[in-house]
Amino acid sequence: MARVDERRWLRWMSPLLGVLLLLLTVRVPADDVIGPLSAVGSDTLAGPMLRWGERLAERHPGVRLQLQASGSASAPAALTAGTARLGAMSRPMNDHEREAFIARHGYSPVELKVARDALVVIVHRHNPLESLGRRELDAIFSESRRCGADQGIERWSQLGGMLPADRIVLHGRNVASGTHDLFRRRALCGGGFRVRLNEHPGSAAVAAAVAAEPSSIGFVGLNHLTAGVRALQLHDAQGRVVSPTPRAVRRGDYPLWRYLYLYVNLPPGSALTGPEHAFLELVLSPQGQAVVEELGFVTLTEERLMQQRDWLASLPMAE
Amino acid sequence: MIDSRPPPSLHLRRRRLRDRLATLLITAGGIGVLVSVLAIGVFLALEVIPLFLGADAIDTDALWRPQPVEGAAEPRHRWRPESLGEASPAHYGMLPLAWGTLKAALWALLFAVPLALGAAVHSALYMPRRLRARLKPTLELMEAMPGVVVGFIAGLLLAPWVELHLTATLLLVVTLPLGVVLAVGVRGLLPSPLGRRLPLGWAGVWLMPWLLMVGAITLWLAPWLEAALVGGDLRGWLAATLGLDYAARNAMIVGVAMGFAVIPGIYALAEDALNGVPDSLAEGAQALGATRWQTLWRVVLPAASPGILSAVMIGAGRAVGETMIVLMASGNTALMTLSPLEGLRSLSATIAIELPEAAVGGTHYRLLFLAALVLFLFTFLVNTLAEVMRTRLRRRYQRREGGA
Repeated sequence: MARVDERRWLRWMSPLLGVLLLLLTVRVPADDVIGPLSAVGSDTLAGPMLRWGERLAERHPGVRLQLQASGSASAPAALTAGTARLGAMSRPMNDHEREAFIARHGYSPVELKVARDALVVIVHRHNPLESLGRRELDAIFSESRRCGADQGIERWSQLGGMLPADRIVLHGRNVASGTHDLFRRRALCGGGFRVRLNEHPGSAAVAAAVAAEPSSIGFVGLNHLTAGVRALQLHDAQGRVVSPTPRAVRRGDYPLWRYLYLYVNLPPGSALTGPEHAFLELVLSPQGQAVVEELGFVTLTEERLMQQRDWLASLPMAE
Repeated sequence: MIDSRPPPSLHLRRRRLRDRLATLLITAGGIGVLVSVLAIGVFLALEVIPLFLGADAIDTDALWRPQPVEGAAEPRHRWRPESLGEASPAHYGMLPLAWGTLKAALWALLFAVPLALGAAVHSALYMPRRLRARLKPTLELMEAMPGVVVGFIAGLLLAPWVELHLTATLLLVVTLPLGVVLAVGVRGLLPSPLGRRLPLGWAGVWLMPWLLMVGAITLWLAPWLEAALVGGDLRGWLAATLGLDYAARNAMIVGVAMGFAVIPGIYALAEDALNGVPDSLAEGAQALGATRWQTLWRVVLPAASPGILSAVMIGAGRAVGETMIVLMASGNTALMTLSPLEGLRSLSATIAIELPEAAVGGTHYRLLFLAALVLFLFTFLVNTLAEVMRTRLRRRYQRREGGA
């Protein structure tokens, strides 16, 4: 008997419940930007990505950014496989990766520049060395010496009489990293690293290792400079010595500056989802660029921002 | 059809059913484990086969022979899976990675085996029950420490410290064991009432302050000794006279860190093996006039040797497969030197670092699976060897016991 009673009660309640559910679904879209937002990619961009995600969550509480930052090379792989629609990279996608993406999806991913950065060569804070030339840098880090040095540099004393005879200990990033790849292309003239390069899974680990070892040298992004390390000045094409400051990057004087990128898997003619649109809008907005500045990177030029904002505005709106 | 037997009671039938179900589940579990182990091997092999057969096959010589390297005069073993254009193709030398794995395991065992076995012998034969009951769980707690944490401590705290105090560290390797021998020697000379205050079973406790003092004195003396013997610059001296270069993240650091990770396992198994030796054997030997040392060396150790051996082998298996400690403490430099002062790159760390970026189905991806297969074979070999030697030793020992 009791069971029958229960059922009767349910039958009586169900229309009410249905109305309640309907009300709920009508109530939520007041903020139509809701849903997951997943991004994969660069460790260098992890800081700004997370900060942008926080800002976005302040504006639209229904959005949560999920970020997996294991290195730039993981972004094209994830975009191609379809496990994420946003890919953060600290270097441009190479032809190989682009072709793989096109072969799978039939169109190119959209490339957005989101910030400027510099590759900074760092040494221990007590190291007296001031600056390095292009060939010297190549002779220290590579065994191929494609930039034209006559012989490799393995000991500090080869760089100047007052330096110790210790072997130079090299610290850098793992192969998946865009920082590793870009440094190889730009600073080593496309050559290969020495086997002795200590490979770390993150830029913070590189800075920590260099800070702990007086005879070491390494390279990181501009935002990973710490008190324990000192950034070296580099010679530009004219032989002038340039410090890796935001100003030098802004003017394009520092030889190892780079863009940081976001790649979006967006079929031509289709719309971004609400969270994606809101995220990109935020990134390109003055507030988004303020985050870039705060974290030690360099903002984009106003021109480039306008150009990309126009592109974003030209997209069809999601229904 | 009429069954002549009385119908089994409901209770009995239910019990039989439960029995059958349990047997079935257990059998299924056992077969499942076997099948999944085999499946891992088959899966790895399938992923690797396209490297050797078909259109994408690579030159197998490149895997284990030295290859010409841009910028180097003679061919070298080299692992660098990225191609740098026409002049410098990718290098797939698997040897430096296998070398790194074995080197890390070797140094870890060199550090761990004497300590773990010494601890096992001491706690099984000399230590009072009360102290042992405290020590065992503590050591097991050490095993529970995650590899990432051990690697982190080794790479970011231990490595820089050792680099700053290299002379002191190398001296400690000598002075601490000497300190133990000295302490025990002095104890033997003490008049008996004082000697009885320091029982051998409690050596782990009363040796601590003494060893701390020895360590402190060594640290204090080290700079002075370094100045007197090698002109104040040990690293320069090592490089100049022995040709040994020092890298902060080196095999020694990895060995110590990974040694810490394998000590608890080796200790626990070896201790059990030693405890399993019947007391009657040792008592009999002592009754026949054997000294404590003779009893240990001639009777107890041989009897426990199968268990001790498998303890060491299981430690070796763990050391070969360990990933995070090597990844964080070694610097991941794919060198092929035996020097404990230089870095290494292991198979497992390479897989961990490079798999996220390898394009699925590409040559690099398949090479990483080959690395995994090699690793699988290594641990398989070590474990099989351990099992074979253990059974052989046990049989020999049993026969001897039966003949006596």
